[in-house]
Amino acid sequence: MSHFSTLRILDLIQTMATSKKVITREEWERKLRDVKIRKQDMNKLVMNFLVTEGFVEAADKFRIESGTEPDIDLATITDRMAVKKAVQSGDVLDAIEKVNDLNPEILDTNPQLYFHLQQQRLIELIRVGKVEEALEFAQEELAPRGEENQCFLDELERTVALLAFEDVKNCPYGELLDLSQRLKTASEVNAAILTSQSHEKEPKLPSLLKMLIWAQNQLDEKAVYPHITDLVKATLEDPAI
Amino acid sequence: MPSTAAGSRPEDLTARLDRAAAGEGEEALLTVLREVKNQIIGNKTKKLVYLHLGAVPRIVAALASARDPAVIVQAAAAIGSFACGVEDGVRAVIDAGAVPCLIAVLSHANDKVVDAGARSLRMIFQSKLAPKYDFLKDKNMKFLISLLNSDNDNVIELAASIVAHSCEINAEQKALCDAGALQRLANLLEGSSNQKDACLDSIAAIIRKNSEVGMHFASIGTGKALNSIVKLLKDRNPRTRLLACVCAISIGHASPYYVQDLQTRTKMMLILVELLEESGRVGDDAPFALSELILDDEELHKQAISVNVVENICDCLHKYLIQPRRLHGILLVFAELCSRLEECRCLLMSQQVLDTLVNALKHDCPDIRAAACTCIRSLSRSVKNLSAGHLSSERFVVPLVHLLHDTSISVQVAALGAICNVAVDFAAKKSVFIQSGCVKQLVQLSKSMDSRLRLKAISALRNLMFLADTFAKESIIRELTISTLASLICDSETDIQHQALALVTNLVDGYVDAAEHIFADDGLIINAVVRQLHSASSAEICIQGMLLLSNIAAGVESHKEAVMSYLVSSRDDKSIPFIIRFLQNKDSLLRTAAVWCIINLTYQDGPDLSTRIARLRGAGIVSQIKTMINDPCLDTKYRVRTALEQCMTFEDNIP
Repeated sequence: MSHFSTLRILDLIQTMATSKKVITREEWERKLRDVKIRKQDMNKLVMNFLVTEGFVEAADKFRIESGTEPDIDLATITDRMAVKKAVQSGDVLDAIEKVNDLNPEILDTNPQLYFHLQQQRLIELIRVGKVEEALEFAQEELAPRGEENQCFLDELERTVALLAFEDVKNCPYGELLDLSQRLKTASEVNAAILTSQSHEKEPKLPSLLKMLIWAQNQLDEKAVYPHITDLVKATLEDPAI
Repeated sequence: MPSTAAGSRPEDLTARLDRAAAGEGEEALLTVLREVKNQIIGNKTKKLVYLHLGAVPRIVAALASARDPAVIVQAAAAIGSFACGVEDGVRAVIDAGAVPCLIAVLSHANDKVVDAGARSLRMIFQSKLAPKYDFLKDKNMKFLISLLNSDNDNVIELAASIVAHSCEINAEQKALCDAGALQRLANLLEGSSNQKDACLDSIAAIIRKNSEVGMHFASIGTGKALNSIVKLLKDRNPRTRLLACVCAISIGHASPYYVQDLQTRTKMMLILVELLEESGRVGDDAPFALSELILDDEELHKQAISVNVVENICDCLHKYLIQPRRLHGILLVFAELCSRLEECRCLLMSQQVLDTLVNALKHDCPDIRAAACTCIRSLSRSVKNLSAGHLSSERFVVPLVHLLHDTSISVQVAALGAICNVAVDFAAKKSVFIQSGCVKQLVQLSKSMDSRLRLKAISALRNLMFLADTFAKESIIRELTISTLASLICDSETDIQHQALALVTNLVDGYVDAAEHIFADDGLIINAVVRQLHSASSAEICIQGMLLLSNIAAGVESHKEAVMSYLVSSRDDKSIPFIIRFLQNKDSLLRTAAVWCIINLTYQDGPDLSTRIARLRGAGIVSQIKTMINDPCLDTKYRVRTALEQCMTFEDNIP
């Protein structure tokens, strides 16, 4: 009896596997041809990418050449990029002053971002070996924030721990000294500035590509069709049957 | 390290501020202001230090006298930052007269200056401490409309936050609507996301609990404004979704014609449940909007069950550390959901929230304690829960009794509401209430000056008395005393009289000896009852009083005789006995209660039965009952027949 039912199940699986709909390349291309995409929409997506990522000169050129208006004053991009650059180069104090000039509400209403910037300042002091100054700064500026928020306190403790090691680069929390930490802080500031300008934090293009991959994965379960695996080339690959 | 370098400590900067103001020129002032601003933004500790040094009045003075736009920008930004996140800062800024200075800044020619002034004012108006803007003054309204019509985003957002902060009463809502503010705000819903949120917030303030204005909003642009709100329910920004829900709920309550289809309401319910997962204010405000949405909406309660609302909220409760405000809101949602449907109550009982409820009863925040009580009251509307005794265990009763001593009256009222229901407890396990000191405190509260407390306390005692055993009944009456009970029967509030009478009825019910209390102290209680029957205008009181007399009349001969003496006065009283008035009353319940009394008086053969019937006949009561043989109320009609049969049987026996 059980032998029989096992066979039945195997049989069923086989039918299911072969029951996937097969769509040939020609058929697929014909279907794609029927989908209409407007030129302006494409341009807007490109502009959105340039603006969000902060390519101000490219955005300006693109505006002139394509006639696509950005949804934000391009001058503010320059300011935003200057802030980002300041953090990336380790001049956090300069970045803070620039953010405050741009819009004083950003750091006043975003305690987490404010803490991360101050933490970055501490990291920079530790990096250049100003131990005493670092300790004083941690005590004066960061400890009160830790009192306000337990998560901040934990992060502060990890950062101060850097001071306890001779060879900071190889200590447990050494990654705080990596360039990637600066980039992380910089992108957090960048996102906060964008939000304050009613602009989305992420460009739309990457989400569209993510959506493409997701949709293909969904479709894989039901059909065999020409896939796009290489997003850069975006070539349709013949369905493997 | 500039913050510790010479001349950059708060003390130094404050001194430099003075020197610069005294004549070092605007350039020096600009540098100091900028430094102060950069030190305090995001830093509460520094703000407090500067506040103590008295920096705020100095900066406001600098703003008032500044000419250089750059100085104005820095001063305004510093003032705005002082007003952000620190209550003392807001007070200092307002006391120093910053608001009129900043308003003056709004008409500056330089855009950057206007931006800075508007941002700073917005910080101030986001605080509860900010002064209320008087929209009813014509000049003020014109100015506000001019701000709303500005093409500067910061100024528009400022105007919206002034409305959200200050618009409270009906007249203000109407005035803002008439002046076109609502229309303008509706048009601005198409703007940037920050602007959208600010507008939604102020629209919600203008239409809240005002159906006239709500309906006007729904008609703007033949429904265009309303459509924008419905569209924003799906916005990507969680705060926008929340605010759109709040507006839509207000409009829905304003008129059942709008946003009332079940599908939209269900959608909003799901959106709000999902928003509970958001951190910060959005997640904290979401449950309050949800409880507003489902208020008195049984259809939506049913829907809540089928889309797993209770389970989802409980998941949140177990998954995250819930902030007090959010917990308060969630308890209100539970209380509302369990207020009507037994299915909701069972569901909640099965979700292991009882621990949460017990803890909430002991929470530091009075709102949470009160909400937990309301929730227990809703849960105990279930006969099943009461019978199972889940809520009448010490675990609940002890903290509930503790809350009867609470310093907040609203918590006391809520706790009484819960005890009132829990005390019904069919399992008759009343001992926990007596041992926990519950009765003692209820008696105290029944003497309170606050009539809400008196009413709820006497209702709770009445329910405790319900189906209680002899021991419990005696304990309660000993604590309450005959004289307090008599004075409650004659309380100035009808509702309290009613509950007190009902308590006596429960006392006598099934406990013949209890009648001794009724006649104790020269008949203190029975006299009070009869006094009410003579004078009360409320049918409810009379019904309750007659039921009580009926219960007493069911007792031994001496009790029957006592009741008789009140019904049929032996003196040459020409006035119509009150029982005849009751038998003729248009309220069928009162008629029935009166007939019941006669039935009990004429039931069972006793030595005095024949005399009693004769006296009833003599007083015209029997003939009155005879006229009721075809009473329109079926229940009354049957009782009338029983009464007549009893009277007639005896009549037949008369030789």
